[in-house]
Amino acid sequence: MATTTKQVRDDGPVNEPNFLETYKGKPLKTRILSWMLTLDHKRIGMMYLFGILTSLIIGGAFALLVRTELWAPGQTIVAQDTYNKFFTLHGAVMVFLVIIPGIPAALGNIIMPIQLGAPDVAFPKLNLASFYLWTSGALLLVGAVPFGGLDTGWTLYTPYSIETKTPVLVATSGVFLLGFSSIFTGLNFLVTIHKFRPQGMGWFQLPLNVWAIYATAIMQVLATPVLGITVLLLSVERFGHIGIFDPNLGGDPVLFQHFFWFYSHPAVYIMIIPGMGVISEMISTFSRKSIFGYRFIAYSSISLALLSFLVWGHHMFVSGQSRLANMVFSALTFTVGIPSAIKVFNWVATLYKGDIRLKTPMLYTLSFVLLFTIGGLTGLFLGVLAIDVHLHDTYFVVAHFHYVMMGSTLVAFLGALHYWWPKFTGRMYNESIGRVCAIGVFFGFNLTFLPQFVMGSQGMPRRYWDYDPRYEIYHQLSTIGAFVLGISMFVTVMSLIASFWTGKRAPRNPWGASSLEWQAPTPPPLYNFEKPVVVHELYNYDDLVEVEEDVWERRAPIDAEPAEVPGDAHAHAKDKPAHAVAVADDPTKPAAGLSSTGGPVPPTVPPGEEEE
Amino acid sequence: MASTDHHDEHHGISHVASIPVLVGTGGTLLLLTLVTVLATKVDFGASINLGIAMAIAVVKASLVILFFMHLKYDKIFHTVVFLSAILAAALFVGFTLMDTGQYQHTNIWDPDSPPVAPVGPRPTAG
Amino acid sequence: MTEKPHDSHEGHGHDAHADAGHGHHPPFIQHHYDDAQHQFDSGKLGIWLFLAQEVLFFSALFVAYILYRYHHPEIYSYAHKYLDVKYGAINTAVLIFSSLTAAWAVRAAQLRQRKLLIACIAVTILCALGFLGIKYIEYSHKYHEQILFGRYFDPCVSSGGVPLLTKSNHCAGHKSTVQWKDGSATAGCYQDIDQDLSKPDVQADCQVEEVRIERGKPQRVSAGAPHDCAKSGSVVVVKGDGGAYTFTGACDEIMVVGNGNTIQLDTAKKVAVKGQNNTIRGKAVDALAGDNTTKRELPKDPGSLTAVTPADVDENKEVVREADKKPITERCPDPLAAIGHGGGHGAHAGGKYPCWRVAYQPAVCVKKSRKDQHGVIVEYGDHKVRDDSVRINATCKPTPKATEPADPFADTVRTTKLGEKELRPFHRPTTHEEHEREAAGPPPENTNMFFTIYFAMTGLHGIHVLVGVLVFLWLLVRSIKGHFRPDYFGPIDFAALYWHIVDLIWIFLFPLLYLIH
Repeated sequence: MATTTKQVRDDGPVNEPNFLETYKGKPLKTRILSWMLTLDHKRIGMMYLFGILTSLIIGGAFALLVRTELWAPGQTIVAQDTYNKFFTLHGAVMVFLVIIPGIPAALGNIIMPIQLGAPDVAFPKLNLASFYLWTSGALLLVGAVPFGGLDTGWTLYTPYSIETKTPVLVATSGVFLLGFSSIFTGLNFLVTIHKFRPQGMGWFQLPLNVWAIYATAIMQVLATPVLGITVLLLSVERFGHIGIFDPNLGGDPVLFQHFFWFYSHPAVYIMIIPGMGVISEMISTFSRKSIFGYRFIAYSSISLALLSFLVWGHHMFVSGQSRLANMVFSALTFTVGIPSAIKVFNWVATLYKGDIRLKTPMLYTLSFVLLFTIGGLTGLFLGVLAIDVHLHDTYFVVAHFHYVMMGSTLVAFLGALHYWWPKFTGRMYNESIGRVCAIGVFFGFNLTFLPQFVMGSQGMPRRYWDYDPRYEIYHQLSTIGAFVLGISMFVTVMSLIASFWTGKRAPRNPWGASSLEWQAPTPPPLYNFEKPVVVHELYNYDDLVEVEEDVWERRAPIDAEPAEVPGDAHAHAKDKPAHAVAVADDPTKPAAGLSSTGGPVPPTVPPGEEEE
Repeated sequence: MASTDHHDEHHGISHVASIPVLVGTGGTLLLLTLVTVLATKVDFGASINLGIAMAIAVVKASLVILFFMHLKYDKIFHTVVFLSAILAAALFVGFTLMDTGQYQHTNIWDPDSPPVAPVGPRPTAG
Repeated sequence: MTEKPHDSHEGHGHDAHADAGHGHHPPFIQHHYDDAQHQFDSGKLGIWLFLAQEVLFFSALFVAYILYRYHHPEIYSYAHKYLDVKYGAINTAVLIFSSLTAAWAVRAAQLRQRKLLIACIAVTILCALGFLGIKYIEYSHKYHEQILFGRYFDPCVSSGGVPLLTKSNHCAGHKSTVQWKDGSATAGCYQDIDQDLSKPDVQADCQVEEVRIERGKPQRVSAGAPHDCAKSGSVVVVKGDGGAYTFTGACDEIMVVGNGNTIQLDTAKKVAVKGQNNTIRGKAVDALAGDNTTKRELPKDPGSLTAVTPADVDENKEVVREADKKPITERCPDPLAAIGHGGGHGAHAGGKYPCWRVAYQPAVCVKKSRKDQHGVIVEYGDHKVRDDSVRINATCKPTPKATEPADPFADTVRTTKLGEKELRPFHRPTTHEEHEREAAGPPPENTNMFFTIYFAMTGLHGIHVLVGVLVFLWLLVRSIKGHFRPDYFGPIDFAALYWHIVDLIWIFLFPLLYLIH
């Protein structure tokens, strides 16, 4: 299509300062306060990003300490108690501070409202409050280190967590605050997605990343409160001896596990679904091909969110859970494979006959698809009751969830970070370093965790400080891999930070992507758009032309020139006539809910409202 | 959003509850509180008494939700949100009970011993 | 906690953005919203999501409730009797009424009825505070009875729900006193004894005496002859100048009014001197009041003199002293019903009163050791209501059975005075209660779990009420300032929704906790 094209320059002069430079030239104190008290979702997202990368380095350091200790049987660098604290803090920091908030809170905050064409999230003050809850929670959680370090494992299982002398109370207070930060972020995003879509953007014109964040937010709002009350009860148990989880007083420690996993299994999906969302964006962009099975991917995100509430018991197969519950949870666990597989097949189908560009984000994307497949399939082994008895609490489990949490979520996070980095910093990162590191992450990761599958299946228990010498070779391979991985990621972070000064200026659309954020100036100004947004057909790259390397522009067909109606730049899905217009640029493929002529949508049809 | 109920006024940006609806709801709730207290004093059998108390509580809760919280006149999606929360809570209760309902009072250190009855006598009927 | 649209046009704290397209915004609409309707709808969806979150936040406690009730119905049917339905019902009514006023406040805000709005919010706050006040009464009562959660659940009550003595009334060898109530008296103390509950045969040696209490003025003592405090009054007053007085025995209080007297005493708890140049001699004086001319010849100085106040030398104050003591040697038959103690009839049957016995009293037992508590009870009375002029003193010491190790309680001697504030006299069980107790048997194990759940649920709910009070106070201030108008009343509506969910949770807590049949 689009035989006749007319250049529509997106790159007009930008009159407003970008969000990073709003206060340029003001005194230092004003500039610092302008960040600390900002209500701009991009700045809040940037602060999240800074905190999360710091936590990533802390959690990574603990991981390397754990791996170093396991280099040889017996004591290598630290004694048993210290080792317990290392793996606990590695787990707690990585789960609560890095992976759960990584994509939704940091990248989601920065990008998601722009993808919606919204000026901000629905509740900016709540957004800032969430950030400070996160900060306080993070400080408390990491604060467990100076108080002696936590040694319960990140799962805080009772009755040990009631009895241990380590500062459980500090950590649970932190987790409580982090939980509410997560709830409020999810609440904010749900309202934003419902109420701030531009006119013309129906539910099925949402980018898949937004769908993923929507699914994540459902779980954040409905599952995280249970974590809050669980750690609250655990805290009260510790100083008030209420006995609810204490068998000495008639309580039930397995109840704690039910409470904990009612949240923490959905939490696993809170970690992975946003990763799937960004992968769906990147895989389409870098294949120059419309995403295959858009609706299936969208629905599978939602169905994963719903299924996540039904399978928590598979963490408790050997915890004394009843046989009936074991069987039901095992059966339900396999259903999770369906939406997960739908996504993988659709990604692979998107790649098929695509014009694949192997930019750094795409390398991470391809890593993700492979690693997620391995992680997902090994999960099926663990869902089988009989096999789980053998594999439970071995390195097989460790390898499985690292393939999902790290090999998938963290890799997706790194890919997404590279993908949107030019948009929100205005600088291109160093492509060669990026590619080398992406490859380093992939190989380092597999070297770390593939041997763990082997030794896990041979019986090496997780969380052990000492081990039989026959596992030594696997541990050493794993440790070498961990260092390759750690160095790659460290270099990645440093390279990204260095690009603030050394990177060349980024254009509006370096990747030729189709979603709305690439229409905004780079970096975006305070309210993201300086002119009315134009909703083009999503994942259609026909009109996008690479004018020079990493600079893409949209050349629309003359006969379907977007008609701009002057008015409010912040157009929302509401029946308000003055709003900007949504345009489907291909008359043969009209987007649902839009007029096929590409003209203004009659104000009597508010597409967003219909589906609420 | 607007309701067909002739008591209701639609004013400004949202539904306005009428005074008869508010007072009627409040009065009914107070009455039902009295009923539930009195119902406990009559012995219908433990489970029926529990059922009556819960049924009255559900009716009261529905009145609060529908009229005090305006859900009857509100966007249907808000009902969906609330029911999703109830559903999630029901799943939580249901699955946990499915597990713990199967608990055997078995001494795991001596599996051959007969199941241990919970200490203390069971309540007598009623 | 609740997110609401905000009133001022803060422009995100930035000044850089001046968009002519937004000039039409009324000041209460935040910049990123299109109009009042958009802001209100967003806030409303937000608060409903928050309420969904609240439902899940509470759900874990409901799971715990249902789970423990399913497995241990006996705990629930036993333990809920500690809760007073009256308080629960009043609180339900209070909350429902406050819900009504909260809903009315929304209507008032929508219709621009400012005074009504302020009144509704104020009534809502008052109701909330009333709710918290009643909660405080319930909690403090339970705190005193030690009907608490988990490890701290340790009341002594009979299994029929009849309150007995508090657990601090251990027997081991000290004196117990109890006052009259309803024509009979019971003194007692409790002992943890591991025994077969069905055959209570607690052994104890008691020395029980009936004591007549005399009330009067302090005794006036004249100079010369020695005064024995142990026999003829231990609160005495000395009046005059230059006399010499001698006291023997332990005196409680000696008041000296006059100058230049010499007081020779044995021991005294307190000596108060009003006058100059008096001399105090003796073995020990715990407290001394007077001026600095008072001479002290005491082995151990009680410390600096405190100034004399009129109360120190109040020669007309009431003095209570134990006068006649009559030992009770008769042991009551077991069971007591044999002498017809029930209902006030046949009180003198067999002529056994006054008598004492060692009684079996089952009490709630939540301790790990699962020691059952047995009461040493002294029964005394003729079923006439008396004043407090007679007391019973009982000094009991349990005698271990031969098969048990020698006195396992020797290290648990505590000095608790029965009859004082923390002791509630034994309420003689009615026939119905006796019957109920027999039906219920000893209290079920882990009764503490009921109170863990009770305190967790009502505590979390109470915190929500407290938050509601703060939110409504904030709204009260804003209403007085006149912030709300028909197109901007979101905060009122959202706070009311929050308040209704707090009410709604209580609607379930009330029957689940208080109305267990």
